Amino acid sequence: MELPVKQFQTRAEQAFVDLFTAAEQGLPGAGNPWVADLRAKAIDAYATLGLPHRRVEAWKYTDLRSKLTEALPLARPTGVAVSEAEIAHAFGADIAGLEAYRLVIVEGELRTDLSDLAGLKAAGAEVVSIAEALQKPPRWLKDELGKINSQERDPVVALNLALMSGGVGLRLAKGVSLDKPVHVMHLDGGSEPSSVITRSVVLIEEGASLDLLESYASLGDTEIQRNAVTEIEVGPKASLNHVKLQKESGTAVHLVSWVLKLDADANYKAFQFSTGAALSRSQIYAAFTGEGSSLDVSGALLMRGHQHCDTTLLVEHRVPRCVSRELFKAVLDNEARGVFQGKIIVSPGAQKTDGKQMAQALLLSETAEFDSKPELEIFADDVVCGHGSTSGQIDEDLLFYLESRGIPGVQARALLIQAFVGEAVERIEHEPLREALSKASAEWLGVSFD
Amino acid sequence: MLEIKNLHVTVDGRDILKGLDLTLPAGQVHAIMGPNGSGKSTLAYVLAGKEGYDVTAGSVTWKGQDLLALDPSERAAAGVFLAFQYPMEIPGVATMTFLRAAANAVRKARGEPELSTPDFLRFVREKAAALKIDPEMLRRPLNVGFSGGEKKRNEILQMSLLDPSLCVLDETDSGLDIDALRIVAEGVNALRGPDRAMLVITHYQRLLDYIVPDRVHVLSDGRVARSGGPELALELEQTGYAEFGEAAA
Repeated sequence: MELPVKQFQTRAEQAFVDLFTAAEQGLPGAGNPWVADLRAKAIDAYATLGLPHRRVEAWKYTDLRSKLTEALPLARPTGVAVSEAEIAHAFGADIAGLEAYRLVIVEGELRTDLSDLAGLKAAGAEVVSIAEALQKPPRWLKDELGKINSQERDPVVALNLALMSGGVGLRLAKGVSLDKPVHVMHLDGGSEPSSVITRSVVLIEEGASLDLLESYASLGDTEIQRNAVTEIEVGPKASLNHVKLQKESGTAVHLVSWVLKLDADANYKAFQFSTGAALSRSQIYAAFTGEGSSLDVSGALLMRGHQHCDTTLLVEHRVPRCVSRELFKAVLDNEARGVFQGKIIVSPGAQKTDGKQMAQALLLSETAEFDSKPELEIFADDVVCGHGSTSGQIDEDLLFYLESRGIPGVQARALLIQAFVGEAVERIEHEPLREALSKASAEWLGVSFD
Repeated sequence: MLEIKNLHVTVDGRDILKGLDLTLPAGQVHAIMGPNGSGKSTLAYVLAGKEGYDVTAGSVTWKGQDLLALDPSERAAAGVFLAFQYPMEIPGVATMTFLRAAANAVRKARGEPELSTPDFLRFVREKAAALKIDPEMLRRPLNVGFSGGEKKRNEILQMSLLDPSLCVLDETDSGLDIDALRIVAEGVNALRGPDRAMLVITHYQRLLDYIVPDRVHVLSDGRVARSGGPELALELEQTGYAEFGEAAA
């Protein structure tokens, strides 16, 4: 195919297009005009935009053009054996053992041998492998894939659409709710260095409700570049509790975007917990498309060494009477860098909007850095919007109080950090998950409070 | 026995304690009184080991052990307990979690076995009931949203859980109404015993009606200016601290 004329600035920038050109005929859905069209438009968009860099405002603090020096070859599913012990080791026993319908994705492939597809179907959900669906899509998936709050102007999301090789499609029909959460587990890093590019679609139709956990971990230390997108539609009066756990290996690049739209009276609650990867960017693009909906997104990131973790949110209030809440907590040690960008756009006419966001960082070293950029773009006059951001160190007076009660310094510090993170973790509705993540933060701190 | 000899302390480069001597035998309760700025709270913080309080000369020993060589948590394990004038609020740490962490840390450091969960809960509930602490309070974040009286009762609860041998009470009466004062004082009196020494720091005589001291020391300009029996507190109530460098109100 003809690619537009664009002077690529770096080898890696060009390399992603080369990946596409070389792989196009072998990607799932090849020869299917519907898929070919989606991919072609997406690679065009990427080729026009190039890799985002620091002069692009939304990527000011996470300059992919300088950070990505190469494009790793696309992951090829090998059906590698993965034992239960490896899963437990990668995610931690509490997370792996969570009572849930498991969907396991390895090397971009939905692994039927490791997933509880039958159980999920019996419970009333529709579930498909994206790789298979690209060949032979069910109607609902074909109608939605690549179209939910699509973000064509984001080069990372565009690259994902061009190169997607797997993932999962999940649909809850009107009124359906499941007896336990769905746990989508992404496991990589056990074989060759590779780009793992997956796209998933989650449709929750009118009045349905779902607890969804997406977790990302590594089987080994092999370098991977992950680019995952989850498209989500929460239908009228439907609800989704959505949690993400990111504990990929310290060599990983993790670029994950959630693009979602909320219909009328929908309820969306999300939590993101991140401790892994060398470079990570977690994006949430959310659009209110029906009145009376609410969104509550919170998260905690704990980083050390030279880790870089970016959380970027864009919430578009397109209709009146919607509520959005965001609370992110960052704990940063050594030379780690945390980035929080939260943008709220209130469209003309989106009256009675109520939007608030808060980002707080606890810096454990002189060399850690937190960059916070809240943005409000308000084009309606009857709204309540606010944002705040703080960064600070551990309060020495509080530390002394705990130590004076016999709690040794290391443990007292950990207790204060845990408390700081706890304010966000508390917002997780699902209790076993809340406890598992609370424990995970204690583990990161190297202490136990039992 | 607590022995403080020729203690000199500077805070932010300012001399606050200037050669303080004090001896407190086990089993006794001594009151420290004095005008504002005489160094009462500094003494409390130095005993507990707060950073920023620099000892430039002198010594502090407790049961023959050099307290100044220990960090704050080690002092707690050695039996020192400071009831704070302004207890800290810590959002995100449930009071019960904190009590448990503290009790277990101290027991571990003393080589005692940790209490089982049911034993610990029973123990806390019993002590809390005696202090008229609502069990609901124990589930709330530490001191967050507590009234002044609740915070002080919570301090005394901690004191009884950690089984200290040297109790330092810093202005425990401040911010308490008379009923709360009585409850707190009863809690303190219940802990008096032959093996326990107490240093009760207060600006006003009122608290000493309820916690009757064996000795009263008046601090002035960083030293003990005068010592006497409980009647000294009553005398000060009449005369004020004018003779100790504070202008009469």
